[in-house]
Amino acid sequence: MTASSSAPKLIDTDIHPTFANRTKDLLPFLPKVWHQQWIESGTGTGMKPGKYDGTFGRKMDAFTDEGGPPASDPAFLIKDHMDRYGVDYGILVGPNFGISLTYDPDYANAVASATNDYLVEVWLKASPRFRASIVINNSDPIAAAKEIDRMAKHPGMIQVIMPATSPMRPYGQRMYHPIYEVCEHYGLPVAIHPGVEGVGTALPPTPAGHTTRFFEIHNLFCLNFLTHINSLVTEGVFEKFPKLKFVGIEGGISWLAHLMWRMDKNYKGLRDQVPWLKRLPSEYIREHVYLTTQPVEESDDPRHLAELIQNIRAEDMIMFSSDYPHWDFDNPEAVRALFPRGLREKIMADNAAKLYGLTETVTAATTTSA
Amino acid sequence: MERIAVAKVGEIAEKGRKIITINGMEIGIFLVNGKYYAWRNICPHAFAPVCVGRISGTRLPSRVYEYIYGKDQQIIRCPWHGWEFDLETGEHLADSGVRLRGYPVEVDGEDIYVVIKQAVANQS
Amino acid sequence: MSDKPLLIDTDVHNSFAHRRDLLPYLPRVWHQQWLEDGVGSGLKPWSPIGVTKKDSLSPNGGSFANDPHTLLEDLVERYEIDYAILTGSVSMIGISIHFDADYANAVASAWNDYLIDKWLSVSPKFKGSIIINNNDPMAAAREIDRLGSHPGMVQVMMPSASRTLYGQRFFHPIYEAAERNGLPVAVHPGLDFGPPTPSGFPSRYIEFHNILPINFMAHINSLVCEGVFEKFPNLKFIAVEGGISWVAHLMWRMDKNYKALRDQVPWLKKLPSEYIREHVKITTQPIEEPEKPGQLAELLQMIRAEEMIMFATDYPHWDFDNPKAVLNEFPRGMRELVSGLNAARLYGLEAPVIS
Repeated sequence: MTASSSAPKLIDTDIHPTFANRTKDLLPFLPKVWHQQWIESGTGTGMKPGKYDGTFGRKMDAFTDEGGPPASDPAFLIKDHMDRYGVDYGILVGPNFGISLTYDPDYANAVASATNDYLVEVWLKASPRFRASIVINNSDPIAAAKEIDRMAKHPGMIQVIMPATSPMRPYGQRMYHPIYEVCEHYGLPVAIHPGVEGVGTALPPTPAGHTTRFFEIHNLFCLNFLTHINSLVTEGVFEKFPKLKFVGIEGGISWLAHLMWRMDKNYKGLRDQVPWLKRLPSEYIREHVYLTTQPVEESDDPRHLAELIQNIRAEDMIMFSSDYPHWDFDNPEAVRALFPRGLREKIMADNAAKLYGLTETVTAATTTSA
Repeated sequence: MERIAVAKVGEIAEKGRKIITINGMEIGIFLVNGKYYAWRNICPHAFAPVCVGRISGTRLPSRVYEYIYGKDQQIIRCPWHGWEFDLETGEHLADSGVRLRGYPVEVDGEDIYVVIKQAVANQS
Repeated sequence: MSDKPLLIDTDVHNSFAHRRDLLPYLPRVWHQQWLEDGVGSGLKPWSPIGVTKKDSLSPNGGSFANDPHTLLEDLVERYEIDYAILTGSVSMIGISIHFDADYANAVASAWNDYLIDKWLSVSPKFKGSIIINNNDPMAAAREIDRLGSHPGMVQVMMPSASRTLYGQRFFHPIYEAAERNGLPVAVHPGLDFGPPTPSGFPSRYIEFHNILPINFMAHINSLVCEGVFEKFPNLKFIAVEGGISWVAHLMWRMDKNYKALRDQVPWLKKLPSEYIREHVKITTQPIEEPEKPGQLAELLQMIRAEEMIMFATDYPHWDFDNPKAVLNEFPRGMRELVSGLNAARLYGLEAPVIS
């Protein structure tokens, strides 16, 4: 895959576009009937518990030249991030991916649609190096499936995004299957991303209630990832939808060893509870699940993360992400250095290229005659 | 090879199973669908006494959310971690590459025999 | 024709005499679950193999773990165990989630006295845990003070199920009393106060069992972040029955975030992973079974967790770990630590008793 010089070398699977003006930018895409609610309450999920973190939430050097919020200007983002690091493709996640946790599902449906139209108009049209994620309201799975069907025809939309906290049940359960059916049909992965723990209709972010401070909740994003991957496998989603892929963005990686080992062990004793599984749980995970690197785990010995990934044979599952413009952004150069040759290319570009069909860089694609 | 009498036909027919010891090894004798089987009483997983486990049927491989009952009274479930073994083949249902250690069984009149090598190797 | 007005009773509760009355109408595949669990016990999903390992049940269905003499024979003698730390039943440990705090206080105290009277007296190999009702921390502290100096009691026991995270100040009187008495605080899963995940309830037992560590991670994170180990520097905390390898991710993630967000927790003087290494112990069971033997030990060595790990069987539960099988995962040197030295140092236990 990497032999070709037209293949991408760096794909960033998690970039967060932001409204330059939150109250105004979405209005052209939102039906008038919802304008007041949007202006006054936004996504309606309220203040995140313990969200105040003193870091402003964004890397402080990412304000636009005009002083606009970080990641609010496509051209500036390309200059500040993608050109600086040689990012061939940037996959946009959000905004408003947490809309599923809003109380009013009709409002949430409208905001999701408007957000998708905004993404096409303002971002995808700005550069062929952008790809985006279809925002849905999964508290209304039938409406979500319709929205995916509507947006799937746009070639710039390459996956569906949901919040890592589910409004109702772990994501393997049957009420979400209409979403997976349409995703599989269009060849779109389903991705989850944290950040809206404990807000709106969500349960508290831990089984023992709420956390006190931002630092505390940020340590525990993986709890939802364990929950959903476990659920997707045991509910047979990957048997029912064998071409479906699932992406866990920003949840970390190293807990995967524990999950695979534990699931396989339990399966050997409790197979009859999940008689539709034909293989070990870890095999389903290896074939259907992807995880992104950021925030990359910093083990005492930098080689440990790579060794762990190799021990559990997860080399084809991991994709680089920066999380630009957030405070815990990962510099691609620093992440690249953690992995040995061979594994490095897979993580920095090849796994994402294969998943999302990004086999040629933009330059290569445009210089090749049609 | 040597055959050792382990039970009477009638006694197993009544209870379905008997655990005996030969050369210091425990072996479970089972009557399944009209035939007799002998399996070593050590689970390949963590060395539990697998032959004392519950005997039942199971849920056969199926489509998602489909439930098919089958192999009634043919499955033994290890008393510890629940591994299911097919009493006819010794295979672990979740991984056919793992199996119980078995011995040939012969029935002669009213007597049931297990066939065993005379010199028993070190037990694992 | 009667002048009596029509009388209609709109709520009459009928039922069947026995659960088996429903069987003729129920597909065979569901029969075992119906007979064993009925409509659903409501506490956690049903398991087809039950909670107790089958060879530890007596013919009348009682567990060998319910009598000190049968337990000694079935576990301690069979596996040549030097000390057995008795934790009580899962439901007794879970007394803290009972709604009535006075009732829970009374039951916990009664259990502790019963344990001393009927169990610890039977063998010096038995050591006990003080079960407390942590929903009433002041009463719990009094209970710890009452029994803390008993030589047979070696730790305090709580469930992992809780209304609030264990680092929070509500629980500090308990840690103060435990530290004062030189006792570690142990936490054990099994009953849940609510959904065991941040996204709701799992469907089946296997799914539930796979993610039990979720609550442990949340509690250990809370204990460190709230500064419990600064406030109570001699306190030790034990995570029982959660498996072990998830602690690597927690350590790496917490350390990384701490380097950026230190000012949110200015009372911390060290990296979070160092607090975990010094104050937290984790028991092995149910031990993970990696694809290749040795990979688990390797992971633990990466995070220098050799002195954190303590062997446990979880007798008499179905997911019991056989000491003759699982200790082989660890290389020599580490094996002795896991098998007994770490626990001996923590609990102040001497060389084995010759009985």
